[in-house]
Amino acid sequence: MMEIDIEEAIDEILESIDVDRETVEKDLRKFLDYGVPLEHAKQAVINKYGSVVKEKKLKDIKVNERNIITVAKVIAIDEREVEVRGEKRKIYRGLLGDETAILPFTAWKDFGLQKGDVIKIRNASSSEWEGQPRLSLSEWSEVEKVDYDIDLIKRAPRKCNLIDLRPGLSNVEVRGKIIYIEERIVNIGGEERKVFSGIMADETGKVRFTAWYDFGLKEGDTIRIKGGYVRKWRGAPQLIFDENSEVEKIDEEIVIQETIVPLYKIVEAGGGIDLYMQGIVLDVRKDSGIIFRCPKCNRRIRNGVCEEDGEVEGTPDLRIRALLDDGTGAVDVIFNRQISEKLLGKNMEEYLDIAKEAMDYSIVYEEIFDKLVAKPVKVKGDSMPSDFIVTIFAKDAEIVKIDEKKEAEELLTQLEG
Amino acid sequence: MREPAWRIFAAEYNDATHVIQSKEEKAPKYVITPLGAKVNRLFIVGVLTDVEEIGAEGIRRRARISDPTGIHVVYAEAFKPEVASILADMEIPSYIAVVGKTRIYEPEEGVLYLSARAEMAKEIGIEERNYWIIEASRNMLIRINAMRDAMNMSNPTAKQLRGLGYPPVIAEGVAEAIKVYKDVDLQHYEIMLREALSFITSSRKEIKKNYEQEEEKILKIIESLQSEDGAAWEAVIEEAIKEGIEKSVVEEVIVSLMEKGLIYEPQLGKLKIV
Repeated sequence: MMEIDIEEAIDEILESIDVDRETVEKDLRKFLDYGVPLEHAKQAVINKYGSVVKEKKLKDIKVNERNIITVAKVIAIDEREVEVRGEKRKIYRGLLGDETAILPFTAWKDFGLQKGDVIKIRNASSSEWEGQPRLSLSEWSEVEKVDYDIDLIKRAPRKCNLIDLRPGLSNVEVRGKIIYIEERIVNIGGEERKVFSGIMADETGKVRFTAWYDFGLKEGDTIRIKGGYVRKWRGAPQLIFDENSEVEKIDEEIVIQETIVPLYKIVEAGGGIDLYMQGIVLDVRKDSGIIFRCPKCNRRIRNGVCEEDGEVEGTPDLRIRALLDDGTGAVDVIFNRQISEKLLGKNMEEYLDIAKEAMDYSIVYEEIFDKLVAKPVKVKGDSMPSDFIVTIFAKDAEIVKIDEKKEAEELLTQLEG
Repeated sequence: MREPAWRIFAAEYNDATHVIQSKEEKAPKYVITPLGAKVNRLFIVGVLTDVEEIGAEGIRRRARISDPTGIHVVYAEAFKPEVASILADMEIPSYIAVVGKTRIYEPEEGVLYLSARAEMAKEIGIEERNYWIIEASRNMLIRINAMRDAMNMSNPTAKQLRGLGYPPVIAEGVAEAIKVYKDVDLQHYEIMLREALSFITSSRKEIKKNYEQEEEKILKIIESLQSEDGAAWEAVIEEAIKEGIEKSVVEEVIVSLMEKGLIYEPQLGKLKIV
């Protein structure tokens, strides 16, 4: 065994226990003299003094560690409901930061955390999430608020186009034009705060934002934000910035345009707003066609019975849920009555007549399948919350017609070049 | 995440000899083609040339779908009776679209038979078929370019390829392909792509009626020349010219016969009667 390996092992042991170097070296060598492999020997020494775990800075936390002790500031926190073994549970997700790093975290119980709290955490663990460590606060973790503030890391933010914002990203730099903004008052822990929400756009797309600080922003302003972060809200990424972010008005023209976004990007971002996409309909879901809605609550009813309002006279509606695939990714798209009629070239009354004549509503499904599957469709829409597959609510759609000869010739030219 | 459906020509798919699967439980298998397509699900479009029943129950079916480069083999399994019955009811030849998962049969190490297990099948029209050829061509061109870029790197990784703007699936597939396929012949695939596209640029919709006699003659020629694996394309053309048909007409008629599903290409450069 190399002396340098032993030295390294001692350094590593010292990172996790609070004992002097000489003692550690003596203990370690004893195990080694007995022929215990270095890895085991290292662990054995740590176990011997294991009761003392050192406080760590966030940058030193690696994937799959246990017994983590750290002090950090809650930069963002979100509550969400998940199903664990058939049981609904509330979990909390967000970002923790200190002067060395910012890490995502998940709390599996309510520790009463608020944005801005500085907390000391004991007995946390870490797992891997998108290539970086994520702290996990479980039933057995201890969390205690401390009464001092800590500085947050200042590193160069990561420049992003709006379409590339993914929930979980932090310290991003974006630029864009505010196309809508509104002011709200929210109550946070008994304190009233002004927040500003809206939509901003750049050449690649649009994103909803929330500003937790009054930067004096107005509709039409073009701004650069450094130090924003992204979370998921209503089934789409949302950009957040606050007093820790740098916001400046810039004198740049931003041309907002229709850009078709490859579906893999929409899938990676978990959704988005005002998205343009194009793909081929590869399936029409079975819940498409003529459905009946409750006249009181607009919910879909089955066999004349509404879950909420009991027996009702249903109002017919036409809707389609189609699987759209562009070869890079796949999403579900929901078409309302108006867009469905446009795509199918027939209106709902005609379909009602066809179904009545056949005494079977499934005939409508068959026709939708026939008319749409294998057809290229261009869609504009917003994502909506969904569990299994990113789901887009279409605001407009059309069947794509191409001049195939022209396209083929263009490709041949590219091939020559 | 739902696997995207790759629009991929039969010849490229059937050339693949490499399959990857991560160690996690129930991890999907991917076929890696020589151009770096990383295929778990396919979207196949072409001419249905042949459907046969397999297995004793008579529910499973195997179909052959011809595209401008070769034949996709598609299975309709017993658990997809609706797909099997669509295949059984379709006229031959007709245009068909199939969505399916990769089906991998490896009778011995290094020997791979690739086909697709159909999830959905549908009869379509010529516009959808042409649209598919355009998409399949465009995607193949992206992979050819990605492969060329990768060949120029000393140690290409998916991350570097993503940095050049390639979508993640293509970057991952190309980085994997370049490790296992030695000296991929890009020119071979460029020729394939050019032929596929010329399917669309040379209009032959109107020839179907006009060349009936020539079609008959060429069918006879192929029949007389064909062996187990078909008749050589060149030999057929030579023979047809001898019979007084112009070369350009011969080529158009052959392509039209393929489109009609009367003949197919069991392997590149060979023609056989269905």
